[in-house]
Amino acid sequence: MSELARPVAIVCAQCGADPRLTASCKACGGAGIGVASPDGFLVWSDPVDDFTIALRAIKKNATVIFHLAIMIGLGVAVAAILWSLTRLDDVSVIREASFWVSGRWDVSLAWFAAFLGCFLIFRLSEYSSDVRSIPGWAMTEAQLEAHDAAAPTRADHRFEIAPHFSEEARDTVERAYGIAHDLKRTEVRPDMLFAAALTGPSGGLFMARLGLSFDLVKRPLATLMISDASAGNPPIAFSKETKRSLALAYAEARTARRKHVSPIELFLQSFKDSPKLQTLLDRLGFPAEHVMKVAEWVRLQEQLREDYLRFVELAALKPKSVMNRAMTAQQTPLLDRFSEDLTIAARNGYLQPLIGREREMEELLRAIESGNRSVALVGESGTGKGAMIEELARRMVEEDVPPELFDRRLVSVNVAQVVSAGESGLAAERLITMLREVGMSGNVILAVHGIESLVGGGSGPMDLAEAFASELDRGYFIAIATTTPAAWTQYIERRSLGTKLVKVNVTPLEAEDTLRVLMAKSGSIEYVNKVFLSYGALEKATTLAMRYLRDVAPPENALDVVREAAVLARKARGERTFVTAEDVAKVVHDKTNIPVESVTGGETEKLLDMENRLHGRVIGQDEAVTAVSQAFRRARADLREGKRPIANFLFLGPTGVGKTELAKALAAEYFGDENRMIRLDMSEYQDATSIHRMIGQAGDQRGGLLTEAVRHAPFSIVLLDEVEKAHPDILNLFLQVMDDGRLTDGVGRTVDFTNAVVIMTSNAGTSFIQAEVTNGTPLDVIRTALLERELKGIFRPEFLNRFDGTIVFRPLTMDDMTQIAHLQIHAVGARLEAKGFMFHAEDEAVEALAKDGYDPMFGARPLRRLIQERVDNALADVLLRHQAERGDTIVLKADMTVEIRKADAV
Amino acid sequence: MHSRTGAVAKLLIVDLFGSVAWFPVWWYTKGLERVFVWVRRSLQYRAASYAFRIWIKNMLVPMYGQYDWTGRLVSVFMRIIVLIGRSVAFVAEALVYGIGIIAWIAAPIIFALLAAWNITSGAFLRNV
Repeated sequence: MSELARPVAIVCAQCGADPRLTASCKACGGAGIGVASPDGFLVWSDPVDDFTIALRAIKKNATVIFHLAIMIGLGVAVAAILWSLTRLDDVSVIREASFWVSGRWDVSLAWFAAFLGCFLIFRLSEYSSDVRSIPGWAMTEAQLEAHDAAAPTRADHRFEIAPHFSEEARDTVERAYGIAHDLKRTEVRPDMLFAAALTGPSGGLFMARLGLSFDLVKRPLATLMISDASAGNPPIAFSKETKRSLALAYAEARTARRKHVSPIELFLQSFKDSPKLQTLLDRLGFPAEHVMKVAEWVRLQEQLREDYLRFVELAALKPKSVMNRAMTAQQTPLLDRFSEDLTIAARNGYLQPLIGREREMEELLRAIESGNRSVALVGESGTGKGAMIEELARRMVEEDVPPELFDRRLVSVNVAQVVSAGESGLAAERLITMLREVGMSGNVILAVHGIESLVGGGSGPMDLAEAFASELDRGYFIAIATTTPAAWTQYIERRSLGTKLVKVNVTPLEAEDTLRVLMAKSGSIEYVNKVFLSYGALEKATTLAMRYLRDVAPPENALDVVREAAVLARKARGERTFVTAEDVAKVVHDKTNIPVESVTGGETEKLLDMENRLHGRVIGQDEAVTAVSQAFRRARADLREGKRPIANFLFLGPTGVGKTELAKALAAEYFGDENRMIRLDMSEYQDATSIHRMIGQAGDQRGGLLTEAVRHAPFSIVLLDEVEKAHPDILNLFLQVMDDGRLTDGVGRTVDFTNAVVIMTSNAGTSFIQAEVTNGTPLDVIRTALLERELKGIFRPEFLNRFDGTIVFRPLTMDDMTQIAHLQIHAVGARLEAKGFMFHAEDEAVEALAKDGYDPMFGARPLRRLIQERVDNALADVLLRHQAERGDTIVLKADMTVEIRKADAV
Repeated sequence: MHSRTGAVAKLLIVDLFGSVAWFPVWWYTKGLERVFVWVRRSLQYRAASYAFRIWIKNMLVPMYGQYDWTGRLVSVFMRIIVLIGRSVAFVAEALVYGIGIIAWIAAPIIFALLAAWNITSGAFLRNV
């Protein structure tokens, strides 16, 4: 049976499925090749040529004309009868039986017309379409299983698949023949079938979803088709591969429980069967995986449509009111005031089906089935806890649920209202009265969103959570609650409420499932915004949302992005436009300010020019600047390893030489803002207990300083200053961060570091560096000596090993100092310009500042102080005394005095 | 080429006019089966909407949560009445479908016979 279920192609031993020989082969009857299936041995032996194509068209038209003729004939007959009856002297005679056998012409015509009516019913049911549905389509699961179990009896039977192709699929096959004909080929090959499916009515939408334009694919596809098949004149036959594709398309449609084989199956199968086609599309930027996903999308939507129709039929059986079908329920006035009936909402079509989450749904139902136990769905916001409850409501409408939920309604209680409405002291009483109503009515399942809100509510010795738990313990009702992991740990787990609820973890969806959710929800987003979504947009939304939008879990974060991108696209380009990956990237960029758009021409230059741009802020330190620039180019081109931070750097060198400044310059260049930096001074983490401050501890929801900061801004620079001062246990934490790109905080949440750049700075070995630089030792040698000797007592080897680069910053030279002085004076000028003054410093003044501020021990820091003392103070005096007016130029002279040059009068 | 034209003509004749011969066979085999399937599905749906099974299962469960003994008594009485009422409605509907099936079986024969009777006994044939 399983052997049969797997599609295996078998070639005719007589003709070898050679298109030239197959047509006249007696052994296979023109099939050549077939595929084993539970329906029999699938073959396509229906001839397709100019004649049969023309004949099919004629037959189709003739049928329509024939039916029209019968209908017109019937219409005329009815009109004639009515006309004749109105001319009767006494119309009441038609009530007598004798009238209907009187032999009048109009009576004869009436009986004949009635007979013709029967004939028309027959014609319309039997001849409107000669497409047959796939066996098993209308069967229930059990019937299908029985049918499949009997498969061996059909194994030797030929099963002609052609009649099960829909009109459009049949048209596609004929179009493929047409293409072979036009290209003067003797064989119809899978790529022609693919081209035919692409040019069909559903192919347009398919290409648009994929983001593929026909003009782009036309020429290479034509080249492929010409190169693939031998030239020649008719007869044109189907190649072995094409016949196999057709049979497999049937097998695929059968597995997906489709009614007919439709063009999408032909499209997909011909694509799968042609490696050259896959390569062609891959080169155009459409990997095989994307093409398959789009096909899955199209089919998922068709599937949802079919499910919807089934749902509507079943929903009609569910009561419209609070009363159940067994009529055992009672009115629940108080509950109705504070709740919403989800089963009625589902019945009226307001709730959408759930995609994925089969495991969690099963766990939920199993918990209820195992003895009326209540359940808590525990998951981050956005994971779809609400969607699971809505799905439960839908299943209750379909009555596809365990007996415990049969003929009941799912009611969502608004906890906030219960807690806050009216007098606060009455909240517990109100809650208990409501629960009693639920118990008395007996047909209510409670859904409680955010059950943690009950904790601490009410007054007196027992809070609402306790009251709820004690009622739950009495077992007269079932509740399905939702909460977040943090709230579960903090408020519920250790209380009696926690012991009464079965915990079902709802983890954030993986990328694959998130994409499926987007595909399923695309219909309503498209309808609301009057736009079309492309596959690129959905994929980009999934990737970017999962990477950068961490406040809400997937799939909700990705859905939000798609919704916003749809609005953006409509506003930018009007209705009926396509939402592209760029629209999605723009939305994410606007939300996070992270450069997520694809690397554009301008940005390429910017990235390649990164060294120069960084040197705009960091003077000297060429090696450091080059190393970090390279790391960033790798990250932006998405070439980095996925499981580690973008880069881990250890900056070594004396104080004040630009270590922190380089980190800031990077944040500004790459993350768009120099404040996108999480900066921790490790001198504050010298004892082992300070680890809690960094990563938080159990029970404290505030989390750690580092972990919380990275959780909220995962895309940033983590700068750990003076790392040599940290306690060794804390450094051990970073082994995991640097290796796996993640860290588990004190509460148990995993924090992702894969989008962060970890930079640690250290002054360790400074005196060694200074001495060696003075001796003229090359930086490479200094670094090796540092790693092998000088740092050994300070850091463990496995720690040092994990850095992508250990970068030695050399002490500043006098030349560097002058340039830094220029930069800093320029910054002073910029501040003054913002106030409306011009500023100019004479070169001698800047050089004097550099000279006086130079201190090989402290780098550029003394210079900043010096500028504050000499320049900023003098400028402050000028401004406070109103010696300068807007537009005037303030000049810093070589002797550090300030001169005001008045602006020209207007 | 001639043979192909012939084939077209033949197919059209078989397809269009051959269906006249296929019509009575279809009517009493495949067509009748379809009617039966439709009737069965309609009745199943009706039975589901009348919730017979649920009502029988809950025969002794009081309606509207009236757990006192009068409530229980009235409930059982009411449930019997409602079940009888629904059964009558169901049987009536089934009868209507039954009449429909008989009509389906009889219609073409009766129409054809009456048409033939009227035509042969009619004025125009008598005048011939």
